Amino acid sequence: MDTWSRRKFLKTAAATCSGLILPCALPSFAKQTPLKLGYLPITDATPLLVAHGLGYFAQEGLQVERPVMVRSWKILIESFLAGKFNLTHMLFPIPVWMRFKQKMPVKVLAWDHTNGSAITVRGDSGIYKFSDLGGKQVAVPSWYSMHNLILQLGLHTQGLTPVIKPQSAKLSPREVNLFILSPPDMPTALLGKRIDAFIVAEPFNALAQIKFNARIMRFSGDIWKNHPCCVIVANENVIRQNRVMMQKAMNAIVRAQAWCQKNPKETAHLLSRDGEGYLPVPETVLARVFAPLPKTEIVHPQWDVTRIGFQPFPFPSATRFIVEQMKQTRVEGNTDFLASLDAGLATRELVDDTFVRKAMDEMGGIHNFCDCNIETPFSREEIVEIN
Amino acid sequence: MKSINRFVYRSSRQVGLNAVFGRMEFGWKYEIIGLVLFAGLWGLISFFVFTRPQFSQFKGFLPGPTINALVDASQDSRFWLSAFASLRRILVGICIASVIGFPTGIIIGFYPKLRGLSYSPLQFVRMISPLSWMPIALLLFTSFESAIYFLIVMATICPIILNTTIGVLNINPQWIRMALNQGASDTQLIRTIVIPSSLPHMMTSLRLALGVAWIVLVPAEFLGVSSGLGYLINDARDTMEYDKLMAMIIAIGILGFILDRFFQKLQHKVNGSWIE
Repeated sequence: MDTWSRRKFLKTAAATCSGLILPCALPSFAKQTPLKLGYLPITDATPLLVAHGLGYFAQEGLQVERPVMVRSWKILIESFLAGKFNLTHMLFPIPVWMRFKQKMPVKVLAWDHTNGSAITVRGDSGIYKFSDLGGKQVAVPSWYSMHNLILQLGLHTQGLTPVIKPQSAKLSPREVNLFILSPPDMPTALLGKRIDAFIVAEPFNALAQIKFNARIMRFSGDIWKNHPCCVIVANENVIRQNRVMMQKAMNAIVRAQAWCQKNPKETAHLLSRDGEGYLPVPETVLARVFAPLPKTEIVHPQWDVTRIGFQPFPFPSATRFIVEQMKQTRVEGNTDFLASLDAGLATRELVDDTFVRKAMDEMGGIHNFCDCNIETPFSREEIVEIN
Repeated sequence: MKSINRFVYRSSRQVGLNAVFGRMEFGWKYEIIGLVLFAGLWGLISFFVFTRPQFSQFKGFLPGPTINALVDASQDSRFWLSAFASLRRILVGICIASVIGFPTGIIIGFYPKLRGLSYSPLQFVRMISPLSWMPIALLLFTSFESAIYFLIVMATICPIILNTTIGVLNINPQWIRMALNQGASDTQLIRTIVIPSSLPHMMTSLRLALGVAWIVLVPAEFLGVSSGLGYLINDARDTMEYDKLMAMIIAIGILGFILDRFFQKLQHKVNGSWIE
C-alpha cells in the first residue's frame, strides 16, 4: 500500500509538472488510474464483490485491488470524496444529496441491485401492516436512504405522520417516531424493546430472522416492485478522463450481475466468510437472502420479485419518482435544495446510462435482465402498492 | 497508632498519579486476587443478566462461551495477524505522538510565555473527541493505515504534552538556581536538568497514552483496513456473535496489561538510572 501510494504520488507529481509544460501529456498518465473500489459489509455490494471475486475486472484488462471494506456510509462517502475510492455503491438518495445540495461531481452509472431491504419486527409483535406502526418507534439506517424513503411512503399512504422526536416524547397513535441507528445495533435494539421495527438492508434482516426469531413485516420489493436501492457511483472527473476504463468496469459489473441472477447459491457462498470472506457473515445467513421468497411471506405473489435482484438499467421513471418522493420525506437537516429541484432535470444531470447500455448490449441486451416491455424496453411503469 | 500509620506515606512516590502509574509494585498476590475478584464480578453480573430467558441470544457475554471463543480464536492465524496489526498501530501511533509531544512539552514547561500561549489551544484540543478528526484524517492521508495512525496520535498527544509539562514544572527550583549561579545557559539547563528530571513524568504519560490509544483503536478500525482487534470486534457486532466480541475484549485487556507491564519495567529502568 505504501509503495503503491508513493508511486501514485510520483506519477501525479510528474503528471502535474509535465502538464505545466505539455498540456497534452496528461491523458496518457490519467489512463493508468487504477480502479479503487469501496464497499460496506452488506449485500448491496454484491455486484462489485462478485465482479472482483470471479476476476471479471482482470479479464477486462483492469488492474483492481481487492475492494476495501469500511463500516459506515459516512466513511464511505468521505473516502469517496477524498479520492480513496473511485467506484462504489451508494443508496440512491445519497448521490442526489451530494450532487444537488453539496454540489459534488458525482454521477450515477447504473443500478447496483434492486429490492434487498425489509421492515423487520419482533416475532411476537402484533405489527403486520403499515397501519399497525402508529405510535411506534422505527429505526432507519440514515436519513438519506431508500429505507427512510420507502418507509415514509408507506406511512403517508396510511395517514400516519412520521416524526423525529426524542424517544421519551409522547406519541399520538397517528405518529411514528423515526431515528437513526447503525445496522448492527438494530436487531439488538429490537430484541431489547428499545424499538418496535427497523428497516435496513440485508443481511441484517436475515440475521435477525435466524438469530432472534424476528419476523419480516414487509420486503421492500413487496412495497415497490423491483425498486432500485444502491446505485453504482463514480466521480464525474474520473469518468471524463477514463471513459475506456469506466466502460470496462461497467462491463465487468453487469456481467457479475447477470451471474448473480443465475447463481444465487454460489453468490451467497462466494461473499460469505466460508467463501472469499468479503462479508463477515456465515453462508447460512446469506443463503437466506439469496433464496427465493416463500409465497407466504409476501403480499404480492403475482409480482414475482426476489429478495434481492440485479437489474442494472437505471430507469428514469424510478429516478424521477425518488426525487419527487425525497421532497415528501422527513429528514433532519436543511432540505431547501429539494424544493427547487426539477425531477426531470435532476434525472438527466445525475444519471449517465451510456456505459451501462453498452455493457448490457454486450451481455445480450436488457431482456436478459428483466421481463420488460418488448417495444419500449428502456422505460417502465413504477408499481407501488402499500397495504 | 497503627490506624494512623495507614495514611502516612513513606515516600512521595506513593502519592497522586505516581502511586498508580509510578514504579511502585503492589506485589503479585494483590494483583492475582484483584483479577480473580474482577472475573468473579463479571461472572456474577452476566449470570444475573444474561441467563434470563428474554436474553437467551446474548449468552455469549457469559464467561464460558467467551473463554471457548478465545481458545478458538487463539488457534486462528487471523486473530494473531489482527493482534499484531493492532499492536503495531498502537506502538507506531504512540511513538509519533511522543516524538512530537516530549519536545513540545519540555519547551512549553520551560518557557513561561509559551506556556501561557499554548494553554488555551491545548485545553481546546484536549476536549475534542479524537474521532471527530476522522473526516480530516481521510482527506489528508492517502492510505487508511496512516489515517488510523493520525487518529491515535491526535488522541495520545495531549496527555503526553501535558504530563511532560507537569514534569518540567515539578523540578526542584533549587537545582535550577544552582545551575544558573554557575552560569548555565538555557540549552545546558534543558539538557542536564530539565530533561532528566522530567523523565519519570514522561514515562507516566506514555502509560496514560497507552490506555487512550486502545480506546480510539476500535472505532478507528471502522476505516478501510482488513485486520486488527477492533476490526474483529466490529465483525462480531455485524454478525451478532457476542462470544467472539467478548473474547476480543479479553484479548485487548490481556495485551494492554502486558504492554503496560512492559512500560512499567522501562519506567523502572529509566527512573532507577538517575533518581536516588
